[in-house]
Amino acid sequence: MQSFFAILKDSFREAVDGFVIYVMLGLSSVVILVVASMSFMPAEPGPALEAIVQRFSLTFPDKGRSRVISASFENRYAATEVKPEGDGYRLRLKVTANGSRANEPDKPPQGDSFRRTVAAWLKQPGRTVKMSDLAGKQQQSGPGGSGSPPPEIEFSLNQEATLDEQRAVTNADMEEFLRHQFAIHAGLTATVQRLPADEPQYEFDVTTSGGSAVRGWPHTMKMFFGTVTVSEDVNLGTVLWIIEDQIINGVGGAVALLIGLIITAFFIPNMLRKGSIDLLLCKPIGRAQLLIYKYIGGLTFVFLITSFTVGGIWLAIGLRSGHWDLRFLAVIPLLTFTFAIVYAVSTLVAVVTRSPIAAMIVSIGFMLFLYIVGQVKTIFDRLRLEERSDTMPAWVFTLVDALNNWLPRYKDLDKLTSKLIADGTLTEAERRTFGLASIEYPSWESTIAVTLAFIALMLALACVRMVRRDY
Amino acid sequence: MSIIETHNLTKTYGRIEALKGVSLRVEKGQIYGLLGQNGAGKTTLIKILLGLVRLTEGAATLLGQPAGTVGVRRRVGYLPEDHQFPHYHTAYSLMDFYGSLYGVPASVRRRKIPETLELVGIAGRMHSKIKTYSKGMKQRLGIAQALMHDPELIILDEPTDGVDPMGRKEIRELMATLKQSGHTIFLNSHLLGEVEMICDRVAILQRGQLVREGTIAELTQQKGLYVLRLAEGQSFPVEAVTQRGYTVRSLAEPPGAVEIAMSDGQTIDPVIQLLVERGLSLRHLVEQKQTLEDVFMKTVEAAEPGVDRQRRRGAARPVGGGN
Repeated sequence: MQSFFAILKDSFREAVDGFVIYVMLGLSSVVILVVASMSFMPAEPGPALEAIVQRFSLTFPDKGRSRVISASFENRYAATEVKPEGDGYRLRLKVTANGSRANEPDKPPQGDSFRRTVAAWLKQPGRTVKMSDLAGKQQQSGPGGSGSPPPEIEFSLNQEATLDEQRAVTNADMEEFLRHQFAIHAGLTATVQRLPADEPQYEFDVTTSGGSAVRGWPHTMKMFFGTVTVSEDVNLGTVLWIIEDQIINGVGGAVALLIGLIITAFFIPNMLRKGSIDLLLCKPIGRAQLLIYKYIGGLTFVFLITSFTVGGIWLAIGLRSGHWDLRFLAVIPLLTFTFAIVYAVSTLVAVVTRSPIAAMIVSIGFMLFLYIVGQVKTIFDRLRLEERSDTMPAWVFTLVDALNNWLPRYKDLDKLTSKLIADGTLTEAERRTFGLASIEYPSWESTIAVTLAFIALMLALACVRMVRRDY
Repeated sequence: MSIIETHNLTKTYGRIEALKGVSLRVEKGQIYGLLGQNGAGKTTLIKILLGLVRLTEGAATLLGQPAGTVGVRRRVGYLPEDHQFPHYHTAYSLMDFYGSLYGVPASVRRRKIPETLELVGIAGRMHSKIKTYSKGMKQRLGIAQALMHDPELIILDEPTDGVDPMGRKEIRELMATLKQSGHTIFLNSHLLGEVEMICDRVAILQRGQLVREGTIAELTQQKGLYVLRLAEGQSFPVEAVTQRGYTVRSLAEPPGAVEIAMSDGQTIDPVIQLLVERGLSLRHLVEQKQTLEDVFMKTVEAAEPGVDRQRRRGAARPVGGGN
């Protein structure tokens, strides 16, 4: 282990010798400082709960189990008489429905937009339309993860419920619907009890728990230590998702991989330089061992840089928002693992050519190639899902599937990381409206296994070359 | 047990034969010099001993074990020719790094590093970056890194390259000290004068073949050549000596001196007898010796006349061979 730590230390010393690392650390520090300068002030309970209930127009059929989005703007929701209670709030929720006529006493309900909404929520979605169809099949960039094609979101059209179905809606159904809406739109746990009111007016006594410490609570967001107000009504979770996934995992991750590759591409060629390699190979350490240790040295360097940046952002977010989600920290090992793929290629090229430039060009090219394969696979999967696979010859699908199956899952790792972050920040409703719930996520097991196998293959080839060569 | 032993060592790079059946033996406590022109195979031989290059045929052992194994390398210190230390290190951190690779415990490293650097005369700059060092300082550091784990065998490839005369003298003294303390040194150098001064045995490689090997005395001994001078005012009997079958040549320095060359089987005694008979007084009589450089030049020229000229025209050099 002494040799292992000596080589790690040596790799780190080599990395910190150049100026690039300081530029990188400087940029990371600036980003951390900017995030630390953000402040998130929870909105007052009255306006906040009022804003939350306005989101109830969006529903998800089949008691929220369906991915289809249904919108009904006929009901007017209002949160009144908001008072603190326990660790949450008590309020009266009024729903003004659109009804054709008023109910008569001792007669079955005549039906209205609220009963129709609840009845539709209780059952499977009816006719649906896809977002791509609505957009004239134009490809747009969406929030499905760093530049990927927009996820396919489905909308329910004119979701109807018969009068019988509306009449069958019980108070318990309405209460369950509203409890679900509080949970899915704001992450709030609520108890709901219907109060007497003449339909199409509805009133409910609602008690929430958890106060404002939920991801769907509206916040006033300011930057630069309160000097600039960015928004007075923004979900805390949405902002955190943008910072963690779009900025840090997306843009930051790509920059970290690129700069990491540039810096570490010199490690092995420098070690293999004539005059340098003799000094190492004459030491009592195996060649393969030396190479693997050097490879791990490169990974450790990227791990430390990522830890500094992601850890700093996590700390800044936690301190400024009170949101301490450990899932974001998973970006550190996942980004390092992603880097391990391209660095294994860089290592093989470096051992074969002894050129840092060749190692850089080939590994960056390979990274782009994997990205393209991932994108093409996503598009082809969608074609299959939409039963439009006849638009391409079958062999093209076979080729894309084979490439995706045998090559490391660069894009899948990105998808899985994005999912982790979204699960930790966004409300369920946001995940669905952003289309993140519509993405087919690969399994962790296959993604990691295939990727590890690829890394092992690259390193094995590099070791064989290194061991057999005369220096 | 010999410290180094090679038997019929052969190395080929494609069609190029870098070593052709080299057999040599280095005993414990010796300083052994390896001489040869550029491309003679000296560095290839050293690299095979250390496992940096794989041999094609033959056998090589170091310290009784097959050459190049991890276990053997732990007991050997090596200074390569044209070494390049990582520029981001200081002398101290580099020694610490290499010491760790040799498995030297941290507490020993802390003690040994300043000691060893002091020994080679660069302790005062041990915390400066290596990129600020002169070539001589880098060379001293190279020697220090080869010594810090107290190896039984020290292999030095051009140890005085780039070192000033004072530094060379210090390095020679250091080698002598190491020899006294029981270390074995295998030295590869172009500086024949130095090799002659410090080596016990020398081998000369020429185009991959071992062409001469022996002690310095054996190699530089020159039979049948004497310089002789008589007392002032006396003249040497050139004619009489020549008639007895000797070749006589007058020398400019010292004035009045002559060089007498003998054929096989002749001795200097009849000449001295003749001088005594003629009442001449002998003032100076020395058996002429040749320098190692003379030996080297003659050996190389005899083995392959004009090789240097061919090489300068761009003959192929083996991969990995810095020699």
